[in-house]
Amino acid sequence: MSSAGTDPSGVDPPGPLDRLLDEDPADLYENAPMGYLSTLPDGRIVKVNRTFCAWTGRSPDDLLGARFRDLLTVGGKVFHDTHLAPLLRMQGAVREVALDVLRADGSMLPCLVNAVELRDEDGSAVLVRATLFEATARRRYERELLAAQRAAQESEARSRTLQQVVSDLAAASSAEDVATVIVERSRAALDARGAALVQVDEAPDGTDGLPGLRPVRSLGLPAALLAALREAASGQLALELAQGVRSVPLDERLRAAQPGVAEAMAAAGLVSLVIVPVTADSRRLGVLILGLGHGGPGDLISLTEPDARLGLTAAEIDLLWTLGRQAGQALERARLHEQTVRQAERAAFLLDAARLLAAASDVTDTVERVAELAVDRLADLCVLDLESEQGPHRAAARHRDPARQHLADEVRERHLPQRAATHPSTRALQQGGTQWVRVVDEAFLAGVTSDERHLEAIRAMQLSSVVAVPLIADGRRLGVLTLATDRRRTPFTEADVEVAEQLGLQVSLVLAKAQRYELDVRTSHTLQANLLPPPPPEIAGLATAVRYLAATQGVEVGGDFYDVVRLPNGQVALAVGDVVGHDITAAATMGQLNSVFRALLVDGPSPSAMIDRLQASWSLLGLQRMATALFAALDPATGQLAIASAGHLPPLLITAGHAEFLPVQPSRMLGAPPAPAPALEWAGVLPVGATMVLFTDGLVESRTADLDEGLAHLLEAATRWAAFGPDELCDRLLADLTGAHRADDIALLALTRLP
Amino acid sequence: MGTVLERNAVRVTGVPGGRPIVFAHGFGCDQGMWRFVAPDFEVDHRVVLFDQVGSGNSDLSAYDPEKYGSLSGYASDLVEICRELELSDVVFVGHSVSAMIGVLAVQQAPELFGVLVMVGPSPRYVNDGDYTGGFSRTDIAGLLDSLESNHLGWSAQMAPVIMGNPDRPELGEELTNSFCRTDPGIASQFARVTFLSDNRKDLSAVTIPTLVLQCSDDVIAPEVVGRYVHEAIPGSVFTKLAATGHCPNLSAPEETTAAIRAFLSP
Repeated sequence: MSSAGTDPSGVDPPGPLDRLLDEDPADLYENAPMGYLSTLPDGRIVKVNRTFCAWTGRSPDDLLGARFRDLLTVGGKVFHDTHLAPLLRMQGAVREVALDVLRADGSMLPCLVNAVELRDEDGSAVLVRATLFEATARRRYERELLAAQRAAQESEARSRTLQQVVSDLAAASSAEDVATVIVERSRAALDARGAALVQVDEAPDGTDGLPGLRPVRSLGLPAALLAALREAASGQLALELAQGVRSVPLDERLRAAQPGVAEAMAAAGLVSLVIVPVTADSRRLGVLILGLGHGGPGDLISLTEPDARLGLTAAEIDLLWTLGRQAGQALERARLHEQTVRQAERAAFLLDAARLLAAASDVTDTVERVAELAVDRLADLCVLDLESEQGPHRAAARHRDPARQHLADEVRERHLPQRAATHPSTRALQQGGTQWVRVVDEAFLAGVTSDERHLEAIRAMQLSSVVAVPLIADGRRLGVLTLATDRRRTPFTEADVEVAEQLGLQVSLVLAKAQRYELDVRTSHTLQANLLPPPPPEIAGLATAVRYLAATQGVEVGGDFYDVVRLPNGQVALAVGDVVGHDITAAATMGQLNSVFRALLVDGPSPSAMIDRLQASWSLLGLQRMATALFAALDPATGQLAIASAGHLPPLLITAGHAEFLPVQPSRMLGAPPAPAPALEWAGVLPVGATMVLFTDGLVESRTADLDEGLAHLLEAATRWAAFGPDELCDRLLADLTGAHRADDIALLALTRLP
Repeated sequence: MGTVLERNAVRVTGVPGGRPIVFAHGFGCDQGMWRFVAPDFEVDHRVVLFDQVGSGNSDLSAYDPEKYGSLSGYASDLVEICRELELSDVVFVGHSVSAMIGVLAVQQAPELFGVLVMVGPSPRYVNDGDYTGGFSRTDIAGLLDSLESNHLGWSAQMAPVIMGNPDRPELGEELTNSFCRTDPGIASQFARVTFLSDNRKDLSAVTIPTLVLQCSDDVIAPEVVGRYVHEAIPGSVFTKLAATGHCPNLSAPEETTAAIRAFLSP
């Protein structure tokens, strides 16, 4: 088109482009592809171009005199006054400020604004010129970028939460650990006021028949709200809610349907609850409850209107759903882990119990140890009732909590187990089988207590479950082991009951043994006390001393006996004997033998005649054991002495510092098969000042030395202490010849003929 | 971590022995807001200017979302500055949200302050029942949108330069809109704290002489709010300025200065 190089004049005639380029400044201003505005320093518009008027649908008359700020959205107005206006004053210009201008029809025109402030020579503002570019597409793009960025941040935050949860849960080994992780993480992820993990128990947990909702961990949710939710659950609310992630806003509907929950929410400042099912393999284990509220002092301030419904984004629902499943699986893992641990604990418990019981010395000790162990490891309360000749008695009542021991003491001291058929202890004993009371309720308490005070004491213990195990051994019902939990721990499980039964079995066996043993001991002691003769009588012309030492093992009574009897004719009859064995039968035989001996003395038989008569009547007497015996008759006035031995050790004679065994010829043992010869008798004189010692083999026999050695020792000792009177002689002989441990009883009788 | 004075980019000018006057900027920009007012007081006062943490040349690393999640965090900074400078009988001039920060600081340390000047105050921006604050929560959401659209020269690339070189303003000079730039996250939270706080019940605790300066036609702090503040603070003086808008310290510095002086020396 142009031919500039060829025109000699150098000037082209103006073409259409030139005409356009030679713009009319007024037209350029008015119709420029951007909005132009001029305002006074206070923001009032004094000039505006047509483009801006066209974009905003406003006439110049509308705009002139108006404040530019007033054309903006509320957010824009604030931004204008807090940023744009100050910046203009301070740096004289602003660039690329994004503002939304309101069109006449109320719609928004997204703009980018550049402005300069024109100043006079003093620096005072005179005029502000602004250009506005339409930036709809650009702003939309920016918004999308921002939204994408925000979504990415949120998604990153969610995956971070999930990662954290997964890694935290890997380390959680108990339901409490799992709950803590889930509650804390989900609360933080949703910026919730509070959160709680509530386990749904299959069996009702209380006396009111409501499903068991047990808060495992609660953070920032008031107990009143959880209680209200539990109430509501009786109407299946929680079960219904647990079908999916659900948001329950505090609205009229809720106020009408669940006033209790609504009230508790309002009191806690919550505007909605989020209920998340906690499941594992489609089994519902519980619910995660999140309470959302407004920011309060200290919290990050929320933009939400107080009455606005707090909805959840799809991403949040996804996150919660995943958290719920993670929690469910972790709870399952924790349950299995806890089960394994508990099994190991039970095995260890039973082993400990066995050890402890093996070391128990008697019934009282056994009972105490069992009670101690049970409340330490198995139950909160342990009561042991034992059957005895006098009827049942409470042998022990222990509480795990020292603060509640007084209640157990009261139950023990004041309230015997009721014979009422409902009492689990009674039933266990009568039926011979374990009684398991899974839920303790008021009716149960009323049925098992005897009066108001008893009821009070039991009620104060807040029992939640009871197990009564009968103690049976060799078909004998020895008593009942009753264990109980209180509300602070979980009720007994089947496994707990099994452990209780095994413990009961162990206790039965140990108790049976201990009771048998104790019976023996008691009987033996009674026998011993009754059968041994009284201290020897005072006899003129004689000094006597007797000693009886029981063996240190076994039932501490044996078949040894001694007797010193003054006969009406002035003679003195002496006897020392030893029934075979060291048990009750031996003791009983000894007693009978002693009685028969005294009865036969009526006729004043000689020692050998005594033996012959005993031998002759042995089968008539029905004595079950054989015995050795030494009988002597002494005339204290003359010293005339006759001795006969039925298989017994010879007596010792100490005269003038010399000790010797008297050569008494023993005949057969009492009760031994008959022999043709009658008993022999030694006869002699006990000189004045001489001492005769009668003894049983316990004195001279020991596990480490044979009889001859023992007799030799006795001779030595007797020689050594020959100068002592009978009492001190006995002491010295026993000191020299016996140790702390005696395998056998010892009977020792010493007498000195006084001048 | 620097000192309190570095943290808040504190600048002290004026007469060393003069009565201390502390100027605090509000939401938006920085201590530059006082550039036309402060010089007048330098002739007879000890003038203290500072940037709220998160704004201007303050130490951004000191920004703790928890502490600055409420105005009392800012108030304790102000108290620390006064103590650090060993000021007493302070004339505190707070613009916009800093007026309320001043109210809280006076509560925290009444012994430091002699006079409170509140420029365009509002104890509660959001309407609440019978109370008119001028804004709904939706409006505030719109403001946050505006903030997000206007990062004002802040970019991920420039942020380290700005944060790492608070003492090299020439780097900042090259940026557009530099006086009002700040980290977008901080700006957003500061906006929330500013516009969603409710400090109405703190007003009655102010017992020192107080001046409420009210602009004409202020959309951020309307006159009805200024009057509410005046009525809630016992013995306070209410002065209405001819200046329009929300920043009389920039748009009408002479009138602002004169009003403050008139109050200080009646």
